Amino acid sequence: MMGILSRATRNISRRKTRSLLVIVVLSFALAMLISLPPSITQSQATTQKTIDALTANAQAVNATMSIVATQIECHLPAISVPNPDSKAETIQVQPLMNNTDYSNITSIPHVRGVIPILDQAANDSNLDYNIYGIPLDDASLIDMYSLLLPSNITEGRNLQVGDSGVVVLQQRVADNFGVQVGDTVKILNQTFQVVGIDGYSPLNKTAAYMNLNQAQTITDNAGNVTNFKVFVDDVHNVDEVATKISIMYPKLTVSIAASLVYSIIQMQTQTNVQLELAQATMSEIQSTGTLEIAVVTAVDAAIVLFIMLYTVRERTREIGTLKALGASSAAILGQFMLEGVLLSLIAGIGGIAIGTIGATSFANLLLPAPTQAGNSTVTQTGVSIGAASSASISVAITPELVLLGLGVAVLLGALGSLYPAWRAARTRPAEAMRYE
Amino acid sequence: MNDSVLKIENLTKTYKLGKRDVQPLTNLNLEVKKGEFTAIMGPSGSGKTTLLNIIGCIDKATSGSVLIDNVDIAHLPESQLYKIRRDKIGFIFQNFNLLPYLNARENVELAMELAGKFKGQRKQRAKDLLNTVGLSGREQHRPQRLSQGEQQRVAIARALANDPAIILADEPTGNLDVNNKQEIVKLLLDLNQKQGTTIIMVTHDEQVAAQTQRMLTLNNGKILKDKQTQKSTLSGNQSKAEETQEE
Ligand SMILES: Nc1ncnc2c1ncn2[C@@H]1O[C@H](COP(=O)(O)OP(=O)(O)OP(=O)(O)O)[C@@H](O)[C@H]1O
Ligand SMILES: [Mg+2]
Repeated sequence: MMGILSRATRNISRRKTRSLLVIVVLSFALAMLISLPPSITQSQATTQKTIDALTANAQAVNATMSIVATQIECHLPAISVPNPDSKAETIQVQPLMNNTDYSNITSIPHVRGVIPILDQAANDSNLDYNIYGIPLDDASLIDMYSLLLPSNITEGRNLQVGDSGVVVLQQRVADNFGVQVGDTVKILNQTFQVVGIDGYSPLNKTAAYMNLNQAQTITDNAGNVTNFKVFVDDVHNVDEVATKISIMYPKLTVSIAASLVYSIIQMQTQTNVQLELAQATMSEIQSTGTLEIAVVTAVDAAIVLFIMLYTVRERTREIGTLKALGASSAAILGQFMLEGVLLSLIAGIGGIAIGTIGATSFANLLLPAPTQAGNSTVTQTGVSIGAASSASISVAITPELVLLGLGVAVLLGALGSLYPAWRAARTRPAEAMRYE
Repeated sequence: MNDSVLKIENLTKTYKLGKRDVQPLTNLNLEVKKGEFTAIMGPSGSGKTTLLNIIGCIDKATSGSVLIDNVDIAHLPESQLYKIRRDKIGFIFQNFNLLPYLNARENVELAMELAGKFKGQRKQRAKDLLNTVGLSGREQHRPQRLSQGEQQRVAIARALANDPAIILADEPTGNLDVNNKQEIVKLLLDLNQKQGTTIIMVTHDEQVAAQTQRMLTLNNGKILKDKQTQKSTLSGNQSKAEETQEE
């Protein structure tokens, strides 16, 4: 019916100042209401991005660094022997040890694997180079090889599991023998095929890399090695395993990459702190946002409730008159509900307007700032974690939010005016007519 | 009698006020015929408004029966009562009770809108009624721009809108000056005489009451006097003044 709608609008416009005030306040409440859900989503998305970045970073650091950091170097102390070339001098020689004498290391908890290495000087040419033997028979140790194999293959390929009768030569050694990839070379009277060249690099060993068995054979050292690399499952266990090895074999010199271990542990701690912080921010955004939505919703409905209660009270005589004229209780209920809904709907449109301009301000004002990841860097020697900082977000009102705003406005208008309208509907006309 | 539009039997109204009860109406009997113009007089607090409110279905009888067009409204639920108010009763109040945000025509239309009449139909009838009460040309005026007398005319037009069985007027001239008072009484007399409208009017004014056909005096919750006046022009069989005393 047109009449009821026109009466509702006229009643709202009759009290201009009051209606305007209520509409402005409700508009702000509704603007907050429609700004909050996308703000929460966006803040959480930003924080989630931070969490993802931190996690990815930690994984990357672990992947590149942990194998380096989780190895323990074991060897016997070097001994001094007279230099065969010059009687006056002594040279440091790495004493050999029997592989099987140290087999108990494998049974220490947290030990992933033990790689025995033979690293012996070869004296078959005028170049000082080493024979470097690594076990290539055990596929399960493959991920640990990468650190022990030559690092800078410039031609051909590196050594791989199952290789036998092949050699990777450091460039200087290849030059000395005058060979290249594909050629054969005679080392300590044994013929090898050259499969790869380890290029020049100041840090690279001057060595010929081959299967441990063959290195032992050609150096006449069957069963002997110069050192072990013990790999531990986690950086946190490196110290413990190293200590156990020392206790088990007191004669061994056991060393770890202490600074690397420390820096990785520190990185992990820092990452965890930041992750916890981000997670806390995440749930804080959720709880603050939810609380604010609840409060604003309640306040909004309460404003409608009070203003409509006031209106109903103020218009008691009018309600009595309407009843005396034959208005049903339902008609009066409808009249006042419509007025509340209309008031709220106008405020809803105002709220959308305010939200369109101010959603971003509301978001930054109402919610905890999302966490933004700092820039972390990984270097050969360590890890540095950038400090996390607070980000600001920007929110835009979408058509869905406009619909949501209007829907919420209608709903809260109806909710808030339900009780006042019910009071109006059950007004006793005789009493209302005596009311001044 | 078939031409009785209102028949009240043993009407009692009690208001409970804590321990004390107020009983403005006690075992009241009254019959009003179709086309009668009845004035109700009586001291303040004698129950005049209470009686009118009960007839008008905006207050409930405590006991007894109230028949309007042979329907006992004393025992109807609210879900039925509003229809009686809408279709059978036309209220006129001392302070007019027009809706301030509606103009004269809309105030009259409101009663018809509640009865579900269509816009075109309502608009024409509202215009006609305002014309009848002498307010043609004033249809667009809101109450605050009308004089008191004019406001009461709008209220009368509104009371007539749904062609009710009874017009109930509670001190309709109480707020008006002498000139306006006489104008309104004249209008009510006109309606009664020309259109046969049944009117029950509460008044404190002897002069006003004297112009009606029948004067009731309420006291202590009962009808003290029931007097047919000389003015009676309607039913020829009662041309001389007559007084009844009730116990
Ligand atoms: N809702 C109510 N609750 C309690 N008492 C009431 C109520 N309405 C009326 N009364 C009492 O009932 C009595 C009759 O009141 P009513 O208004 O009918 O008198 P009246 O004859 O119309 O008086 P007046 O000439 O002053 O208008 C009064 O004593 C009044 O105080
Ligand atoms: Mg009264």
